[in-house]
Amino acid sequence: MISVQKLTKRFGEVVAVDDISFDVADGEVMGFLGPNGAGKSTTIRILTGYLPATSGTVQVAGLDVLDRSLEVRARLGYLPENVPLYVEMRVEEYLHFRARLKGVAARAVKEAVGRAMAQCGLAHMRTRIVGQLSKGYRQRVGLADALVARPRLLILDEPTGGLDPHQRREVLDLIRGLAREHTVLLSSHVLAEIESIATRVMIIQKGRLLADGRPAELAARLQGAPRVRVEARGRRDAVLHALTPVLRDCPEACDADEIGEGWTRVVLQPPAGRDPREAIAEALRAAGLPLRELVRRQFTLEELFLQITARAAEKSGDSMSEAGPVTARDRVEARR
Amino acid sequence: MRMLRQFSILLGREVEALFLTPIHYGVITIALLFNGWSFWYALQQFQGNVEESVRFFFGQSPLVWLVIVLVPPLLTMRLFAEERRAGTLEMLLTAPVGEVEVVLAKFAAGFAFFLALWLPSLLYLAIVKSYGAIPDVGPLATSYLGIALVGALFTAAGLLASSLTSTQVLAAVLGTVFNLLLLLVPLFGQFVGVEAVERFFVELAIWRHFADSFAKGVVDSAHVSFYVLLAGVLLFWTVRSLESQRWR
Repeated sequence: MISVQKLTKRFGEVVAVDDISFDVADGEVMGFLGPNGAGKSTTIRILTGYLPATSGTVQVAGLDVLDRSLEVRARLGYLPENVPLYVEMRVEEYLHFRARLKGVAARAVKEAVGRAMAQCGLAHMRTRIVGQLSKGYRQRVGLADALVARPRLLILDEPTGGLDPHQRREVLDLIRGLAREHTVLLSSHVLAEIESIATRVMIIQKGRLLADGRPAELAARLQGAPRVRVEARGRRDAVLHALTPVLRDCPEACDADEIGEGWTRVVLQPPAGRDPREAIAEALRAAGLPLRELVRRQFTLEELFLQITARAAEKSGDSMSEAGPVTARDRVEARR
Repeated sequence: MRMLRQFSILLGREVEALFLTPIHYGVITIALLFNGWSFWYALQQFQGNVEESVRFFFGQSPLVWLVIVLVPPLLTMRLFAEERRAGTLEMLLTAPVGEVEVVLAKFAAGFAFFLALWLPSLLYLAIVKSYGAIPDVGPLATSYLGIALVGALFTAAGLLASSLTSTQVLAAVLGTVFNLLLLLVPLFGQFVGVEAVERFFVELAIWRHFADSFAKGVVDSAHVSFYVLLAGVLLFWTVRSLESQRWR
């Protein structure tokens, strides 16, 4: 559906997008993640033909976005960041105008607008003036606009930006429903929400692609097995000594700190496929050290994102799309 | 066909937006009051000589030029500047429409509004006629043509101004400056001292087109082409300005 090859965009001296390549297959829901200013919106604007690339090629549905711009634009529905709308128009009137502009035949417009409004929960707002709607409803009008001409591809730039948690959830449910019929590319800097929708995730920072894959793959590749956190009563040395047999199996360094009132917290990284919890409980019991917590935890996408972007910022210039080794110390830092 | 269809869809929306913008009613009201007063003043000046008054009103009076110069920028200032400020230009230009259709639709809407402003002046003529003074139809028709042509030129200039900024007020000021330049440069050009250059500028003088031809019932095809071509150049420039913003 989308094919991007070696895309670069410069604004004068500033490199907004730096040699990015990726593909989005039909039916995928691609989550496009990155901090503000990472180049998400610029990439999206190039995809929609609003901005030209400095170099590289971008194809949508097999068509070059510059050479066959009108055809590409007819095939995609775009929700720009901040949802610009004609505020003086009424909801139905606006969607009617947009549908006609996007080439929906005159006799089919009414039905198309009705369907889009129903899909986006706008039917009861159809006669309201757009400028008087809440942010959440404006977002829905923007979504209805994007899908009114039934495009195969939806490109949504920060569709949940500026919404309260309740509205955000509604919009996400809406997008989840749309993903059944459309290929979707959506950007966000809020990761938890994308994790629940996206079938694939790209992480971008400072114009560079840092990671690309299914959320679960990314998690597995970056962290191996889930970490285990232990809290036992005793000095750091005593706890580590008691855990020696377990630690021998965990070649990657672990992290141990006394956290007060006689308790020590150990975070360790077992090798993939191993669950050392039983061994830990046994070792501590044998050493007579009371245990109050023993948890195994998967990283959330959010934590991964923080790690990846933080590390990329540290050694900026070094591409991270091939995931490098992640030390336990890094992970513990990210968790805090 | 597709272009025409999209042009008409866009035109419908632009005309509606023009009528939904309160400031335009203010502009119209003031312009109509002003026109009415200026026609009355012409009748006073020429002591009821209808023909002289009409010629004075359409083109020779500096009063009417105030309306012709100031109104188009006020009608066009919003057209692109506001879309850029609000970000809706991105919505518009990522829909499957070409810049040419967008520019032409906005131009046509502004121009239609400008023309509508002159409809009430037909009433003056009807009133004058009801008092038995019958103005000559020829010069009247060409006077209207002249005003329409200058209006088209100034609307195009105003649209270009609006495409260059995201501030409406700046667009209006810039448009007015463009119009004044178009109006005044030929006048000053007549005092260059080189005969060929002076002749050239005399031909470009909009004011003179009115005094010598439109107000006298003469349609000079050179004059007509001058306005149409110049308006076309400005509209083309507007399209390029719109395209170039994407390249920044």
